[in-house]
Amino acid sequence: MKQSIKQAAAAAAAFALAGGPAFANPYAPYAGDTLVVNFPFSPHYDAVMKIIPQFTEETGIEVEVDQLQYLKMRERQTLELTKDRGDYDLIGYVVFSKADYVYADQLENLARYFMNPKLADPSYDPDDLIDAYVYNIGFAGGNKGYLEGKTGSLFGIPFGSETSILGYRTDIFDKHGLKVPETYDELLDVACRIPQLEPGMGGLSSRAASGHHASHAFLLHLAPLGGRIFDDNWQPIVNNAAGVKAAEALKTIVDCGPEGSETFGFAEAGAAFLQGQTAMFLDSTQFAGQVNDPSKSKVAGKVGWALHPRGVRRGSQTGGFGIGIPKNAQNKEAAFLLLQWLTSPRVDKMIALAGGNPSRFSTHADAEVNAKFPHMATFGEALRHADPDWRPIIPVWGKINADLGTSLSKVLTEGLDVQEALDGVAARTSDVMREAGYYTWD
Amino acid sequence: MSMRGAARATPYLFLAPAAAIMAVALLYPVAYMVYATFLDWNPSQRIGEAEFVGLRNYAFLLQDESFRESFVVTVKFAAIVVGAEMVIGVGLALLLDRRIRGMSFFRTVFIMPMMIAPIVVGIMWRYMYHPSVGPFNRLLKALGLEPVPWLSDGSWAFASVIIADVWQWTPFIFILALAALQSLPRSALEAARMDGASEWQQIWLIKLPLMAPVLVVTMLLRLIDAFKVLEVILVLTNGGPGLSTEILSLRISRTASEFRELGVAAAMSNLLLLMLLALTLAMFFYAKFAEARAQKQRRVAAAAAAAGA
Repeated sequence: MKQSIKQAAAAAAAFALAGGPAFANPYAPYAGDTLVVNFPFSPHYDAVMKIIPQFTEETGIEVEVDQLQYLKMRERQTLELTKDRGDYDLIGYVVFSKADYVYADQLENLARYFMNPKLADPSYDPDDLIDAYVYNIGFAGGNKGYLEGKTGSLFGIPFGSETSILGYRTDIFDKHGLKVPETYDELLDVACRIPQLEPGMGGLSSRAASGHHASHAFLLHLAPLGGRIFDDNWQPIVNNAAGVKAAEALKTIVDCGPEGSETFGFAEAGAAFLQGQTAMFLDSTQFAGQVNDPSKSKVAGKVGWALHPRGVRRGSQTGGFGIGIPKNAQNKEAAFLLLQWLTSPRVDKMIALAGGNPSRFSTHADAEVNAKFPHMATFGEALRHADPDWRPIIPVWGKINADLGTSLSKVLTEGLDVQEALDGVAARTSDVMREAGYYTWD
Repeated sequence: MSMRGAARATPYLFLAPAAAIMAVALLYPVAYMVYATFLDWNPSQRIGEAEFVGLRNYAFLLQDESFRESFVVTVKFAAIVVGAEMVIGVGLALLLDRRIRGMSFFRTVFIMPMMIAPIVVGIMWRYMYHPSVGPFNRLLKALGLEPVPWLSDGSWAFASVIIADVWQWTPFIFILALAALQSLPRSALEAARMDGASEWQQIWLIKLPLMAPVLVVTMLLRLIDAFKVLEVILVLTNGGPGLSTEILSLRISRTASEFRELGVAAAMSNLLLLMLLALTLAMFFYAKFAEARAQKQRRVAAAAAAAGA
């Protein structure tokens, strides 16, 4: 009874909105429903939180948001997704969760929603979504199981995704007549010249703490320098010449970096740059929003942005978050409507203006967005070089990542030989891959 | 059933509900954990879906270098911190076991570190160890000395986590040692003084031996705790640099959440549990042994007194 009253009211609202029965409101059947969504704490999702009330206003669908720190979020989701009836209708997930969730059959394939004429918005313009992000974050089952390819399909939409970008202090570069580095050789040269030119200042702020951070920093250099973790047959090649060069680049950067940078995580590396302790920053675009915020930054107005330097190729990182619908969600169709609304061209721009990371080319090129955030055009350019295969997204990656990160930390702090460290990682990775069944067909 | 049989059963009947609750609340989770050690279980699976792999997780751990390294780190850490805390804690208690003005105030100040939440302790020390803005390095620089790589060098990082732990947990030993000191029979000390024993002789020959039962229990409690420490190290170093401060409990937590191998994490927890169980049994047997010895001494003393009379 209550449901039918709700539906009647919704239909009446729809009628009023559309102005007549000929233009039915696609949201009407779900008006009055409440969606429970699980999002991470990140600058992007903080911007999203400002926009969500407008969704309710436009559609009549209520949204309750459970926002968590991203690792906590992942833990919560892992438990939540194994239940018969889940509490979440829509989840923001970390890119490396894609492999786990899709492999465990816990995310809805989005095909049947985009095929449903009552749900799919014809003006959605999927081709405007940034390719590398879509393949990196939303796509599964293609080449290597996690990349673009004929056998793949879509399980999520990039939302709050990011690539890597070089931030530099325009005042310092101007003062010493330095050229903004375009290649890795130039980058390493400038990084080590700055501490001599500006005593007490580090060259480039990099994360390097044992574990995930050291591994992430290494991977940032690995792709542009021509390396990969695996070859096409899943044999580890992280210890080849390109791998060694990437690790040596990391070591040079840390050695010429600010004091104590061997233990920096992402936050500390960022803080060092914001506090004016380093002249460059090379990491996620997610960081950019804080640079000109005087409450957090001492370098507001003094930062320029450039593309992630080129090694033998361009290859900036792809990462961040996507959104998807859990298999055990209670209101999947309404959840899809929210997913589609949030990632539509119009709302993507609204979120960008509120300080979020856009997922669309059109938003990066938008005049209004560029007027407010001048760096957006450079970021859009960087996205063309974003590499969806800069790190493998496979279920056993967590373990390999940790091993890589601790071994590199030993290189940075205990003087372990680079080649020896990477040979060790390759050998252990090989064991992990064998154990996980990757060599079954050899 | 006869009346006598019923009477004999009565206490067990009364105990039954408590025993049932114990079994469910205490043994069931432990049994669950032990069962999980035989599974290849990732957190995206329900336990029923996990594959049974027998002893594979244990076999893996025994040949896993990182596990061995973290085991050695744990044992080294526990031995050093508990050793240092015992010496400092008991030393402080011996020094402060006297009537000084404002003594109760100092005692309260001394036990304050123990009351701070471990995460906060971690954050606080992380700041103090900060290479450029931390007070330690600033002091060193002000004195014209070389700054120390507190957290960015393996050996220094290990020393740094030890310093933080000693700072936080020495007070625990201090209060227990002080309580033990204050409950010592004054007559024994007075007798020693009248016989001309020096301060050192009193400490070595009277106070410490009499305090020994309490000290051993305190030490074992601290050892058990030191084997399980997690938060402070998690915040301070997250196990790094390399694996230099990766204590077992941290490795267990990473195995479960980062590597997503609940079976291996359970097996590690189980090994830790067995080790702690051995320590607890040692504590139990020591208590029994000490009690038996004390009783024997009392009997001998009583017999001697009787003979003297």
